[in-house]
Amino acid sequence: MLHLTQLEHLTRRHFLSKCSVGLGGLWLASQGQSWGASGALKKDPTQPLLPDLTHFAPKAKRVIYLHMAGSPSQLELFDHKPELIKLDGKECPQEFLAGKQFAFIQGVPKMMSSRFPFHQAGQSGQWISDRMPHLEKHIDDICVIKSMYTDQFNHAPAQLLLHTGFPQLGWPSTGSWATYGLGSENQNLPGFIVLTSGGVNPDAGKSVWGSGFLPSVYQGVQCRSQGEPVLFLQNPEGVSQSLRRRTLDALSDINQRIATEVGDPETVTRIAQYEMAYRMQIHASDAFDIKQEPEAVHQAYNTQPGQESFANNCLLARRLAERGVRFIQLFDWGWDSHGTGPDTDLTKGFVDKCNQVDKPISALLQDLKQRGLLDETLVIWSGEFGRTPMRENRGGVEMAAQGRDHNPGAYCLWMAGGGVKGGYSHGETDPIGYEAMVDKVSAHDLHATMLHLLGYDHEKFTYPHQGAMHRLTNITKTGTKVVKKVIA
Amino acid sequence: MLRHSLVLTCFVSALQAGELSFNRDIRPIFTKHCTACHGGVKEAGDISLILRDKALGEGESGNRAIVPGDPDASELMRRITSKDPDEVMPKPKHGPPLADEEIATIRQWIQEGAEWEELWSFTPPKELAVTVKKADWPKQVLDQHVLAKLEQAGLSPSPEAGKAEWFRRVSLDLTGLPPSSEDWALFRDDAAADAYEKAVDRLLASPHFGERWAVMWMDLARYSDTKGFEKDPGRTVWPFRDWVVRAFNADMPFDQFTIKQLAGDLIENPEPTDLVATVFHRNTMNNTEGGTDDEEYRLAAVMDRVSTTWTAWQATTFACVQCHSHPYDPYPHEDYYRFMAFFDNTEDADLNDDFPSTRSANDPAQQAQATKLEKDIRAVREAINDQALAVTAQINDFKLLKATATKASAATGGIAQNADGVFVASGTNPTSSSYTLTFPAESFAAIRLKILPESDDPKKWGGLAAVCGDFHLWIIKPDGTRQQIKLREVIADSLSGPFDPNEAIRGGGPGFGDYPAQRGPRWCVIVPEQPVVVEAGAQMEISIFHALSCNADNQPSILKKFTLEASNNPALVQFIASPEHGARWQQHGAMNGQLNAIPGTMVPVMTERSPKARRDTRVFIRGNRMTRDESVTAGIPQIVQPPQKTEGLTRLDMAQWLVGDRNPLTARVLANRLWAELFGIGIVETIEDFGTSGTPPTNLELLDHLSLRLQKHHAWRIKPFLRELVLSASYRQQSKATPVLLEKDPRNQLITRGPRQRLSAEMVRDQSLLVSGLLSRKQFGPPVFPPQPEGIWKSAYNGARWETSQGEDRYRRGLYTYSKRTSGYPSFLTFDAPSRDVCTPRRINSNTPLQALVTLNDPAYMEMAQAFAKRMTTVSPELPAQLQQGYQWLTLQEATPEVITALVALHADAFADYNKNPADLQKIAPSAAEAAMVLVANTMLNLDSALTR
Repeated sequence: MLHLTQLEHLTRRHFLSKCSVGLGGLWLASQGQSWGASGALKKDPTQPLLPDLTHFAPKAKRVIYLHMAGSPSQLELFDHKPELIKLDGKECPQEFLAGKQFAFIQGVPKMMSSRFPFHQAGQSGQWISDRMPHLEKHIDDICVIKSMYTDQFNHAPAQLLLHTGFPQLGWPSTGSWATYGLGSENQNLPGFIVLTSGGVNPDAGKSVWGSGFLPSVYQGVQCRSQGEPVLFLQNPEGVSQSLRRRTLDALSDINQRIATEVGDPETVTRIAQYEMAYRMQIHASDAFDIKQEPEAVHQAYNTQPGQESFANNCLLARRLAERGVRFIQLFDWGWDSHGTGPDTDLTKGFVDKCNQVDKPISALLQDLKQRGLLDETLVIWSGEFGRTPMRENRGGVEMAAQGRDHNPGAYCLWMAGGGVKGGYSHGETDPIGYEAMVDKVSAHDLHATMLHLLGYDHEKFTYPHQGAMHRLTNITKTGTKVVKKVIA
Repeated sequence: MLRHSLVLTCFVSALQAGELSFNRDIRPIFTKHCTACHGGVKEAGDISLILRDKALGEGESGNRAIVPGDPDASELMRRITSKDPDEVMPKPKHGPPLADEEIATIRQWIQEGAEWEELWSFTPPKELAVTVKKADWPKQVLDQHVLAKLEQAGLSPSPEAGKAEWFRRVSLDLTGLPPSSEDWALFRDDAAADAYEKAVDRLLASPHFGERWAVMWMDLARYSDTKGFEKDPGRTVWPFRDWVVRAFNADMPFDQFTIKQLAGDLIENPEPTDLVATVFHRNTMNNTEGGTDDEEYRLAAVMDRVSTTWTAWQATTFACVQCHSHPYDPYPHEDYYRFMAFFDNTEDADLNDDFPSTRSANDPAQQAQATKLEKDIRAVREAINDQALAVTAQINDFKLLKATATKASAATGGIAQNADGVFVASGTNPTSSSYTLTFPAESFAAIRLKILPESDDPKKWGGLAAVCGDFHLWIIKPDGTRQQIKLREVIADSLSGPFDPNEAIRGGGPGFGDYPAQRGPRWCVIVPEQPVVVEAGAQMEISIFHALSCNADNQPSILKKFTLEASNNPALVQFIASPEHGARWQQHGAMNGQLNAIPGTMVPVMTERSPKARRDTRVFIRGNRMTRDESVTAGIPQIVQPPQKTEGLTRLDMAQWLVGDRNPLTARVLANRLWAELFGIGIVETIEDFGTSGTPPTNLELLDHLSLRLQKHHAWRIKPFLRELVLSASYRQQSKATPVLLEKDPRNQLITRGPRQRLSAEMVRDQSLLVSGLLSRKQFGPPVFPPQPEGIWKSAYNGARWETSQGEDRYRRGLYTYSKRTSGYPSFLTFDAPSRDVCTPRRINSNTPLQALVTLNDPAYMEMAQAFAKRMTTVSPELPAQLQQGYQWLTLQEATPEVITALVALHADAFADYNKNPADLQKIAPSAAEAAMVLVANTMLNLDSALTR
């Protein structure tokens, strides 16, 4: 595989100083028009990802969202509940069961304390269990919100709510709002990139990074850590990059003639998009080539080039952040610790999952910090809801493995970098970690806070759709607030 | 104030008296500044500016907001001009004050009498004659309307397109495929005066016509081969896709097309395939994730049907009305639920097996028989139960059974009998738990079980299901010996829901009761084989086992409140033992056998519940199904001219109203949609929204003419309607856009030129298959799996795999490609095909780099390029001639010498390159010349003129 520098050399004549567009570039530069629905931001169709103005100075330039699909147990990681230790093994009091709807719990389940010991760590003394020893080194950089809650107790709707503000399909995701507003700092890569750990996609499918009613160019582009990072990025077998350049020159030549002949502005856009595609071929391949990293980095992240893994994705997230990609969303899976078998046993599968992600996340934070990127990169980690303080008893029967059911009432999310107050724990749950009680934070509050850090007032950052000015924070919900306390 | 009036006077002079239009000039001001607070969602101060009566009436303050003819007496004028921050409207925190022009306009409107108009789309369409100067240009009446607008704007039409430009456009528009060489030659060489008409007639008669238009309809029908949500398992609905293709090919009038899809199960004398048409509303998603409440997702599907019906047929954002009255248009909140009542009474309940379904026979000749058998089987089953019910009605000595002992099997739950004889469950009785009830035995010949709702308040009904699973009965003799009583049959108050009541005594099935929600009281009578005679001192034991949960393994469907009664009247035992009754069951069994012998595919369909089991539809407060309010009956909002009949409206009545003469929207919505398919943009751009929040029509007279033409003149037939459109002078213009046209009519909404659109996702693929000679023209049948990259299908908890189709199925038209909701065919998604989770009324064409990567690099497209290259080389030994032919196949146009030169040069460079790099060469073709040709073919498939029509 050719290296970026070689490729750029090879195609030098096509790259015109900073704007780095191909043969059509000069001609394209004379063809500007505006684009988009009335009431929407004015965007240049040939450069839809150009950075745009924000409402106020942003603290974060980009977001890396680490989503642990399935939802890790907050009670085994960040929400320390001594009261639950006392109740361990006892039948759940009726007051906690009345009026509750569970996914799987039946009858009267038993209370279950954390399977792992907690301790206070760092200067800040935030509580953490012993399952994330590497992450613990960054405890003073991270802000754990213990009082997240949702109203969805099934995975797909809860994930949609967390990433689009609505439990139904069809709404723009946080990443698409961010790229719609902010554009991207890199015109050679998609502005919103999604990486999954392999295996399965999130339960809610690709809608969690969809663009809803926003122009489709702002939807998340799912890149793959194995094989081609973007679908069809590589030239077909037997077509070299120089031949591809040659075909694009011919194509651009003829398309320019067509544009002159038929006068259709879409032809102009198309020429620009073919050039962008070509640049993506080079730059995305380069960005995704983690073999370029030194051995020490691989050791820190626990990466193995060629694998489809969360670790590789963490390293890719750093490489993409360095390149100015606006929104990088990682989905890991296998966190749905119901206790139906070893994989979902809190003392087995869950331990493995923690081991898989602990080192790479820690390396990512370390790496961003070292490169001076953490201050301007908002890193967020969460599941889509929490887990019950009761042990799951599917069908009313205690199971061999130890697990917890879904709990929309409380979950933990942490943030780091990007203007967030490190070493701070926000909010509290009740004594057993079942319901968020103090400083509760909804998905909408989270979105408002994210947009705030990115430089937007969530109430004013809107898009016209079906007769209303819609926003990420769901116009039908009231009381949404920026969580000021978590901001440094 | 004086100063202010002077300013106003200046502006008023700009508007001619009597020229104001409420819809054009006033409504937009209200929508922009006022209706957020004084509209459907909120009526602050009891003022709503979307309803005439509320706008012109008295507000809370007692002052009239608008006094027609007297702006100075109008509270509205005082408030919008006030300088007092506490008085001024809009309130400063809600928005800026009105502009002086806006204030002047409102003043003039009130002055002139505050004439109120309903929105254009609610008034019946009118045919208006227009006069034009360039009278020799129009070929159809529609052209006169187009030309009138152009002339008003000081513009003239573009020249007529050449034969090639028009013919490629019309071929792709009508059949989704570019013309074959033969089709083209036939038209090109036809010098007859009616050559265009004949060409269009050939296209309309093509079997591919239906395939192209089915794609449009499948977006609206949210057709997908999977159920959606987390697991997204497969579902067999392709017979519906085939039904749609055939309906378009047969030019089924749109009124029939509508009625069959919305109410095919209720038509009195249906055609055999009418049930398959009702799959339309079974394309809703079905949540099979563990732990989901089937009632919640049943209602989600019902609401999706409401919303889809209004979007697809009425271009109305009716989903807004779920939570509150419509913000801009006069649809009261309650009307949502009245309309929902049309759909709330079907049997489907988000079950994993997609119950209920019909047999789509493999052999169409057997369809009529299969459909008839299904109907007859249902009728016989109903008759069996009805006759038994008549016998049951004679029994009037049921006596409450009082238990001496009650026991719940789950340690966490309990069951006890109250003094009034009602059994009440307590604690948690999970699925697979049972109740054991002991009674002093008395002789009996029938047992009646009444399942009661937990609350006496019907508003609170509709909670978790209550289903009696296995029902067993023992007599315990005084000596302790137990004798199990053989139970023969269960007679139910009504047959409804997915389970046969007899399952309660036969084991293996869920049993008797309401599922997935308890809608209200239910009862059944359980009949033993023989009257049971007991000796004194014996006891009777009844056990009720709960077999069922609402989904997977949770949310038990237990009995929470019930009574048991016994009667010693032997009438039912005798009736059930009668030979006539036995014969009916035999007939039932025999017919089931005959039905099962017909090979076919089960497809989910709409089935109405028996009138006896009608669901009680209620208004949900703020749209929340857990807060049920007043009961409603099915009805249609006043503003859209409901039928005169108001009592007992059915889904069939609703479907007939949609396509009836009174409905002001359906024909306009369809005419606009068809227009947009051909012209790239609707006369109403928001083809999904004809309300206040949508865009107004750019040419209402044209739209009204078209809708009347479609509905009346063509009696809802789409083919002759499209024929007029594509033969019109408007459509036959050349598509060239000059700088002047781009400035005056940037998006071609005035039709100053012919349409130019990017090909749809399916067309991009189908065209490349056609010109490369690979296209399979095979029609119908199960979906196919053309090549897609590895690792695309990754649904959680779903082991389904993409097995690439072999043989000609690899090259079928796009609409036959397997459509998976959570993971669509990648190249289609990239070209803006929707996932079809929900009704998609409009695809908005994007233009992205990812599209370039598809058509440049997707191995499927490379395979087509290879075939295209080969095909070009067969036409001539000379390269330029080969390229010229290939270019013409793709675009019908003759390539200019410059284009040929560019392609020849590309070929030469590639040839030289491949000669130098034999390794690359081997991967793509046997020789450098052939490889170079593949590369050229690949380039040509990406030309702008190939990707647009």
